[in-house]
Amino acid sequence: MQPGLRFSPAAGPALAALALLGLGAGLPGPAAAQDDTIVIARDNDFNTLDPSRSWCDSCQIYLTAVYDQLVRVGADNETLEPRIASGWTISEDGTRYTFTLDPDAVFSDGSPVEAKDVAFSLLRLKNLKAGASFLADGIAAIDAVDARTVAVTLTAPDPEFLGKVSSPYGAIINADLAAEHGATAGADAAETDRGEEWLLENSAGSGAYVLESYRPDDELRLAANPNYWRAAPDASAIVIREVEDAVSQMQALQSGAVDIAMQVDADTAATVSAPDVVTELVPSFNFVYVALSPGAKALEVELTRELREAVALAIDYEGVLEFTTGGAANLIASPIPPGFPGTKGLPMPKQDLARAKALLAEAGQPDGFTLIAAYPEINIYGVDLSIMMQKVQQDLAGIGVEVQLEPVTFPVWRERVGGDHIPLTAVYFAPDYYGSGQYAGYFGMIPGAGWYGRAGGDEVPGLKNAAMMALMEEVRTASPEAAVDLYHRMALEMISDRVIIPLVNPSLVLAYRKGISGMRYAVCCNLPLEELVKE
Amino acid sequence: MARYLLRRLLAMPLLLLGVATAAFLLGNVVKGDPLASILNERQMNNPEVVAAAKARWGLDRSMPERYAIYLGNLAQGDFGTSFRTKRPVMRDLLDRLPATLELVFSAMLFGSVTGIALGVAAAHWQNGPADHGARLLALIGSSVPVFWSSLIALYVFSVQLGWLPGAGRLDAAIRPPESVTGFLTVDAALAGDWHAFGNALGHLVLPSVMLGWAVLGIISRMIRASMLDVMQQDYIMTARAKGAGTLRVLLRHALRNALVPALTIIGFTFAYLITGAILTETVFSWPGIGSYAVDAARALDHPAIIGVTVLGALAFLTANLLTDIAYVFANPRIRLG
Repeated sequence: MQPGLRFSPAAGPALAALALLGLGAGLPGPAAAQDDTIVIARDNDFNTLDPSRSWCDSCQIYLTAVYDQLVRVGADNETLEPRIASGWTISEDGTRYTFTLDPDAVFSDGSPVEAKDVAFSLLRLKNLKAGASFLADGIAAIDAVDARTVAVTLTAPDPEFLGKVSSPYGAIINADLAAEHGATAGADAAETDRGEEWLLENSAGSGAYVLESYRPDDELRLAANPNYWRAAPDASAIVIREVEDAVSQMQALQSGAVDIAMQVDADTAATVSAPDVVTELVPSFNFVYVALSPGAKALEVELTRELREAVALAIDYEGVLEFTTGGAANLIASPIPPGFPGTKGLPMPKQDLARAKALLAEAGQPDGFTLIAAYPEINIYGVDLSIMMQKVQQDLAGIGVEVQLEPVTFPVWRERVGGDHIPLTAVYFAPDYYGSGQYAGYFGMIPGAGWYGRAGGDEVPGLKNAAMMALMEEVRTASPEAAVDLYHRMALEMISDRVIIPLVNPSLVLAYRKGISGMRYAVCCNLPLEELVKE
Repeated sequence: MARYLLRRLLAMPLLLLGVATAAFLLGNVVKGDPLASILNERQMNNPEVVAAAKARWGLDRSMPERYAIYLGNLAQGDFGTSFRTKRPVMRDLLDRLPATLELVFSAMLFGSVTGIALGVAAAHWQNGPADHGARLLALIGSSVPVFWSSLIALYVFSVQLGWLPGAGRLDAAIRPPESVTGFLTVDAALAGDWHAFGNALGHLVLPSVMLGWAVLGIISRMIRASMLDVMQQDYIMTARAKGAGTLRVLLRHALRNALVPALTIIGFTFAYLITGAILTETVFSWPGIGSYAVDAARALDHPAIIGVTVLGALAFLTANLLTDIAYVFANPRIRLG
């Protein structure tokens, strides 16, 4: 007979451990976000909170909530509206912009926003040579005419200058406060500036919110700006909580732990039937593309335009949308996404295997060839690049092109794409502001453009697109109406280059709890936090 | 024992220096340009921007120069600045360490105490239902991937049943208590904020149990085996013959001896989890050292990688030392020298 156990104080620790479970079970479950605090689940990609050094999707959300820009894109995602600048004039030659500042504009510490702050902020953006400094490259000088008037002189006419300063990175910083904590804006700012550490802990803006605390990979906490000079935001606090994957974000939303989930993909959204959760599918300006680099050292054949055309024609575009997003995406014709100037009437891509094979034969490669495809192993805007590339691999096999997939981390991809270049790769793009010039200047085969370098433009004869260069020059002085036509022609040139092959224009899922309003996709900043309302 | 401890403590800085040097050298010889994690793809094309970044981060200096600077900074407790978070690595580690320690302490408490209790019960009722039940629990805990079991647990207990809060350390709508220890439960209690305390404790339950379950499996099996061995010893028979009660024989005579091998496992598991609770931290959005290490590795964030490596080494050395000390208390026959 087994002797029975009797209770002894020595058994206390075991009971304590079991109590951990029991105690938890007796605690209140997931509390809905309290009061008017709005809690957002997001997989953040902050590279910093310093406006002049930042460049990321999450940065855009932060910089438009905490800082103001001279102008900002309106709710129609097109029209520029006054913000800190109540008005502006442009010189006849298009090189001098004079802004009149709103006399009501004040920073969160109550001090007025003045011309010196604008000058400091835009010059710091330019001179730090970090983050989105490319947006300010065209600035030659900034004069504080008086406290409420600031004049910006450009090195050359730039019809998109207002668009550029409307981007979140054109944030106007409280110059005195930032300078007090080590920030500089002079020509030597890249060496002398010490402001970042302070700006990671504090904000110095005039936006609807102020930074309360930031713990990387955990949460960003914003509090309503008590001195906000425009209509006060509805929520007294906004917390952006780090939640990495779509499933976890949706779980948090369903349980009431968060009010908004920002990166839920269409597949995950389709599985939700909770009555308190709203999901909407909205079009976006983001897109995912593959790119061919004729200058890549690892190429076994000369990647001529004919071969690039063959690759483009071999892809089953509709199938890619279905394969990657279950159809919750749109086709995209050119590297300028639909909705931007010049994109109306562009021809949508189509698979044409017969033509693709004919092109291969004409180019002396009837049996196909091999392409190494290294790409960042990420899931972006609901598109898993590995899944997308498997589909591309399958499609190209149809014309005898063997694709060797090499998923890599983002830093490794950056190094390879900029170093020896990658024969075939995949990545994504989201706009920095409303304007088609950013696409032409990044994807066009013109010296200085990002993809011109990655495609080996200087080494590969015939890759430089003279027509594109002429159009870029022409658009500088064109009227807004004429610019639309010029951008249309640029889009056609970029399609014809067959270096950038856009594949997916994913729709975004807005997922939030009932009672939240003000949800919208904004070109300026993904989600304008100041517009959110919690009932 | 004092001389032994002193010797071990004096050796620690040398061992840590060795680890830091190895991590620094490895970080510098492996393929991968750190600039690629500092600059975005547009900036990588701009020589001016690349030059400015190299100068700012000291990457324009030779490796010996950087090593000398690194050691000088390390001597002052400065691990450098993270390429990814742009904050001092020491600050990042100190911010995250309490979160990890709170999780690991709770998981180890649950795993160890429950594991020991199950091991003792399994040995006592060998081949009976308790033994089979303990074996099943251990098997599930050790074999089911923690990310899967964690996701299921989150879905069931948080989403469906609503018994427990979900991811994170505290509901976002609750203002965190002022940081004193960094342990949210302790800080909330110190602040007298019982609402935050209850919420933080609730958040701790699921990750602790899921992480502790894996530990439980190993410990319960080890305790069972040791107990079965010890229970055959003559002194156990003697104790029984002297009329000692079952519980007294099991806990006072058998368990103390059977505990020694389990202490080694507990010590090393604790140290391992300081940097190794990666999946649990990821699933539960727990801002700890494990997830920091993974993000640092993904981003080629050398200063952070070295910082985590040194911290991990320190955790192992400390756990090893504490385990040695615990041996003495568990079994007075053991002498350190």
